[in-house]
Amino acid sequence: MAATGDEAAAMDSISRVPVSHPAGLSLAGASSSHGEGAEPAAESLLSVPKKPSTNSDGGVETAEEAVEPAEPDINELCTDMFEKMAVFLQGELTATCEDYRLLENMNKLTSLKYMEMKDISINISRNLQDLNNKYASLQPYLDQINQIEEQVSALEQAAYKLDTYSKKLEAKFKKLEKR
Amino acid sequence: MTSAESQPRFGQSVKGLLSDKVGSCSGDVIALTRQVLKGSRSQELLGQAARNMVIQEDAILHSEDSLRKMSIITTHLQYQQEAIQKNVEHSKNLQDQLRHLLK
Repeated sequence: MAATGDEAAAMDSISRVPVSHPAGLSLAGASSSHGEGAEPAAESLLSVPKKPSTNSDGGVETAEEAVEPAEPDINELCTDMFEKMAVFLQGELTATCEDYRLLENMNKLTSLKYMEMKDISINISRNLQDLNNKYASLQPYLDQINQIEEQVSALEQAAYKLDTYSKKLEAKFKKLEKR
Repeated sequence: MTSAESQPRFGQSVKGLLSDKVGSCSGDVIALTRQVLKGSRSQELLGQAARNMVIQEDAILHSEDSLRKMSIITTHLQYQQEAIQKNVEHSKNLQDQLRHLLK
């Protein structure tokens, strides 16, 4: 980057005398307090652009560093920049948080579904136990039905025998009638 | 990393250096945030969880459907049991009549 006229004059003055403290460059190390660091830099930059003046103090020429006047809205720009960066970083982290929240909601819905299924299973189990007990109480009746079935079979056999005997009797009677 | 860049370079103003520094710090913070997210492996875990949920959902729906059918079948069995109960109470009279017939 080519230095401008003012910057070239500043460079000349700097090259001639040792620079006491580069105020602008001190911000490089200040990572925690950007706002605070910006203010003194802004204050130093907002100071009147001092022309490099030479003072002779004990035979040593001194000069003051030439600084550019700061923009009047630099504080607002810095604040705006940091606010937007904070919003961006928060958005980056919020995305993952929202994904976890979605997963949490899905798990909650699944657990609710499992609880409903558990209730249905409990009802089915209770109903089947009652049914088994009722069917157990019906067992004597089922035995009676078996006995009835056997008795009906015996009755049917008796009816067949009676029918055969009556037919034989009828045939004998007819034979006797013919004589 | 930053100490080498913080030294004034020939031809660069303090303002330019400052803006570069701020830009690089911003980039570093963003990269750090992304590295933290990447290191937590949250995307992998969430993806795996979503895949498992999709596989499980089909089984859950099928199980729920089967349970509801079982409850309906149980209700029908109860109705049938009540009908059987009502009808077998007549069997005692029937048995007495048959016993008399067979005597």
